[in-house]
Amino acid sequence: MTKILELRDLALGYPGRTLCQNLSFDIESGTTLAVLGANGSGKSTFVKMLLGLLPQLSGEAHWPQGRPREVGYLAQMTEFDRRFPIRVRDLAAMGAWRGFGLWGGLDKAGRRRVAAALDEAGVWDIADQPLHTLSGGQLQRTLFARVILQDAPLILLDEPFAAVDQSTEAHLLTIIERWRDEGRAVVLVIHDLSSVLDHCTHALLLGDDTATYGMVDDVLTPERLVAQKYMSESQASWMFRKATNPVAEELADV
Amino acid sequence: MFDLINEMWGFAFMQRAFVVTSVLSASVAPVGAFLVLRRLSLAGEAMAHAITPGVVIGFVTAGLSVMSLLIGGLIAGVGVAILTALLARKTILRSDASLASLYLIALASGIFILSAAGSAVPLKSFLFGSILGIDDASMLLVGGVATITLLTFSVLLRPLIVSTCDPVFFESQFKHPWIIDQGFMLLLVLNLLAAFKTLGTLMAVGLMILPATAARYWAATITGQLILGFIFALLSCWIGLTLSYLFPDTPSGPAIVLVAGGIFLISVIFAPHGFGRRLKKTSTKASLVDTQTSKQSTQETRTS
Repeated sequence: MTKILELRDLALGYPGRTLCQNLSFDIESGTTLAVLGANGSGKSTFVKMLLGLLPQLSGEAHWPQGRPREVGYLAQMTEFDRRFPIRVRDLAAMGAWRGFGLWGGLDKAGRRRVAAALDEAGVWDIADQPLHTLSGGQLQRTLFARVILQDAPLILLDEPFAAVDQSTEAHLLTIIERWRDEGRAVVLVIHDLSSVLDHCTHALLLGDDTATYGMVDDVLTPERLVAQKYMSESQASWMFRKATNPVAEELADV
Repeated sequence: MFDLINEMWGFAFMQRAFVVTSVLSASVAPVGAFLVLRRLSLAGEAMAHAITPGVVIGFVTAGLSVMSLLIGGLIAGVGVAILTALLARKTILRSDASLASLYLIALASGIFILSAAGSAVPLKSFLFGSILGIDDASMLLVGGVATITLLTFSVLLRPLIVSTCDPVFFESQFKHPWIIDQGFMLLLVLNLLAAFKTLGTLMAVGLMILPATAARYWAATITGQLILGFIFALLSCWIGLTLSYLFPDTPSGPAIVLVAGGIFLISVIFAPHGFGRRLKKTSTKASLVDTQTSKQSTQETRTS
């Protein structure tokens, strides 16, 4: 595993308002980092800092290999214009636009790459449909195809499962696992703890002006989640309850 | 009819008007398309008013020359754009409210200066345009602006598409995203100035917005949007100029924009993204009901 980014004593926020501080850890290739925290804890600010859209308040962010030319990015869908008159394949192809420049079109190899990405994301059959006809899940799959085409060593996904159903989420998680297996680093802002436990290697928990980083099992403990105001005590005790249902215990034994 | 067209073509000023508006249509079509797609239609309208004081001051101090119009209009347009951005960023006002406040001040001061200076040019031709006022310099201005616009669009088209469709993604990809925004606003001001003599300050933006909104009802792709927008603008100009010739007291600006408005209304009713789809669905439903009714009546006849 190679280090992609080293963060040392980083503080994030806006002038006059610190959202999180003491961020000191490395982002390495072949890992999936889940970023968790309550609303307003600085998750999106952290992603924006990684993108270079927002400077840190203090501390140091160092790219040992140099900042990657391409950083894969999937934003929250709030500012996306779904009525824009382009087709699914064109939206996905935006991920490869550096490859074909300002004037050039997609060559045969480029078209094959776009087709493969759409196929992997499960939207090849609707490649010629305009955006406004897509469901939330289909649009998110198309945006995943765009990230695939970015072919980046570092991929940032900001709440990618906010508007998708369970089967779409499961499908998109397999793509994230493929990225990790290929040695890319994936940073994922996410709320669903079960997906974090099953699919992420590391976690960064933000909240209460502090940040906790480590392996998923070390960070996602009920005590820490309550201490950093991610959930209430009753929520934590329900979520981390031991199986008391005899049928469930029996099934677990089997 | 043909006699009338022949007679119209006999006048040099009409020939100039047709050439100028055709070139203008090619220039304003892409600007209008992105004004609509970037949800800046009303900002375009406001900007058209905002350039008035610059144009008027240029006219009062240096006469009705293309250079005075261009320099005065550019200073006013770019000044209002920068002030709007400044107010929106540094004060509590949002950009729409800032722009609305500034353009109202600009428009009022433009009309005031023009009236106070006792202009020899009638106010009506300032506000609504005149096909009689198109001289060689005006043709050069329109040609120059069209060349700059189309060349710039050939470079900016892809960044504009990405930044309009997904601005957050674009910011993550492009180091200086403001270049696209400001470059586009500059193109807008230039095209408003180019359209100024034919259409007037109040109508200039009409040739940008209406063909683009009409095209929006038909086009499923950005290419279709750009081509249809150009065709609609061209048709509006040709028919509008003919109307303006037929009714000599009507200024060319409103005539052109009125035709564009007619195309817009037709598009709203018949185009696939307007009420067209609904009409089609209703007629399909009606024909299905008719078929079922006729089947039932045939069966009933057979049974009896």
